[in-house]
Amino acid sequence: MSWEIQTIADRAAGATSMAEVGAYLVLGVVLGLAIVSLMGLILNYSERKICAHIQCRLGPMRVGFHGLLQPIADGVKLLFKEDISPRNADRLVYIMAPFISLLATFLIVVTVPFSPLVQIADLNIGVVYVAAVSGFGVLGVLLAGWSSNNKWSMMGAMRAGAQMVSYELSAVLALLTVVLLSQSLKLSEVVLSQEQGWWIFRAPVVGLVACVIFFVASCAEINRTPFDLAEGESELTAGFHTEYSGLRFALFFLAEFVNMFLVSAMLVTFFLGGWMPFHLGGLTGFNEVMDLLPPGIWFLGKVTVVVLLFMWVRWTFPRLRIDQVMNLEWKILLPIGFANLFLTSIVVLLDLYLF
Amino acid sequence: MGFLSREKISGTQVVGDKRISTVQAPRPQRKSFFFNLYFGTLSLLKGMRVTARYFFRPSTWVTQQYPENRQELKMFERYRAELTLKYDENGYHNCTGCKICDSACPNNSIKVIDREGPSGKQEIDRYIWRMDTCTFCNLCVMVCPHDALEMTGRFESSVLDRRLLVYQLNRYAGATKKNIEKSKDSESKDLLLKSFESRTFYEGAIPLSTSDEKGIFDGRI
Repeated sequence: MSWEIQTIADRAAGATSMAEVGAYLVLGVVLGLAIVSLMGLILNYSERKICAHIQCRLGPMRVGFHGLLQPIADGVKLLFKEDISPRNADRLVYIMAPFISLLATFLIVVTVPFSPLVQIADLNIGVVYVAAVSGFGVLGVLLAGWSSNNKWSMMGAMRAGAQMVSYELSAVLALLTVVLLSQSLKLSEVVLSQEQGWWIFRAPVVGLVACVIFFVASCAEINRTPFDLAEGESELTAGFHTEYSGLRFALFFLAEFVNMFLVSAMLVTFFLGGWMPFHLGGLTGFNEVMDLLPPGIWFLGKVTVVVLLFMWVRWTFPRLRIDQVMNLEWKILLPIGFANLFLTSIVVLLDLYLF
Repeated sequence: MGFLSREKISGTQVVGDKRISTVQAPRPQRKSFFFNLYFGTLSLLKGMRVTARYFFRPSTWVTQQYPENRQELKMFERYRAELTLKYDENGYHNCTGCKICDSACPNNSIKVIDREGPSGKQEIDRYIWRMDTCTFCNLCVMVCPHDALEMTGRFESSVLDRRLLVYQLNRYAGATKKNIEKSKDSESKDLLLKSFESRTFYEGAIPLSTSDEKGIFDGRI
């Protein structure tokens, strides 16, 4: 089966009039906004429910059926809250920081291939773009901590900065193995290269190792619990967003949740075949059965599984110490990542794919 | 399981002409890179199995949907909310008015007033319990030598006036179940039963402060 890839940017490029180009532009922006806000709501609710069940609680039950309207109620509450800024804060940077944090999120949403026909833009250096733009999130966190004029915020931001910058190395190394395997930097081609089988299975062992490294590193990059030193509430109250309230706090919150979705989407795109149905080499009959489900459903299903895994990990493990975090990155993940990259190049050279 | 055995951390040492026992501080054992990686991952997976079990088994969730399940809610055995005297099927209690609970109560929430029964034996007259100052520490139940008290799970005790939280726990003033059973003939038993006086939940003396209690300073000079 051959897949026809058509992104919104492609359609805009093939448009015949300025009005059509404008329409596609609006469509892209609306799609991005819709994904970000919808994912914020859905992930907020599911995170609270899952964490509650893991901790033997019920979670939100009052607003709507089984608390389904709780995220909306929370959003409305945050909208009406007073927006306080500390007296000696660096006003401009303080106001700007949450938007920068969310901007990084938006910029990544642009490249996510949801299905062959639903993608806002398909850059030919997609992998480099994703790696570069995800570093933008660090800037938001650092600025927030710095401008709050609060030692706890500052401390949290510094920890977050050190941690996110370190773990980006491992994440990018894991992405590089996939770039080696798929021989392309374009996200749609990375997905298409997995038509014979997803890289986590198809590349013997190295795919799985790279996937685990990417999972751990991205877990640290989005500051979730085994690595949530940036906000460790027991020692830093709330870390970099201690001073934020109301809508600005909500923006940080939203960025955090959507980042989790995006990281899962990236993991799915690079290792679990993106929107590609589950294929096994030359088994044509099996592959055709798998193709019956539309690729968008495959993508969302896989992302759901990975997001659940992220939440499961978050609510199981205790927080690491800063030296343990650095140990894990520089002494364990990075050497394994380099060795894995080397092994992958051997796999690619000798054509040692499983099917 | 040789690799998990601990080093010997205690021993004896001879210093001069004395033998002293020494204890070595436990040290983290250094193992190989792959050993740590493998067993670290294994222990992480064990933890995830535990949380997965909680997640998939609704029977382990403990939250009660209180106002909705009010009809079928059964409080747990160990829940401590309301102090009560135990009564048997005939309505007799075991309290002799010995005041051990009174003196054991850390914040003077219990006041026991006794009286002399028809045979000259000490009996309970009023058992006054102030819920408003009670911390539900269970000490009164634990010290009671006659097993007369118990904590029950009736937790809905909100009232609009603090004074209504002063209760009188005994339903009657008079002899205990044991003393009635011990009485030799029916005449003395009747005498005991005749001396019974009814008491209700809200009729005790209601002290508004503890200033009339011995040893409590209420701030007045």
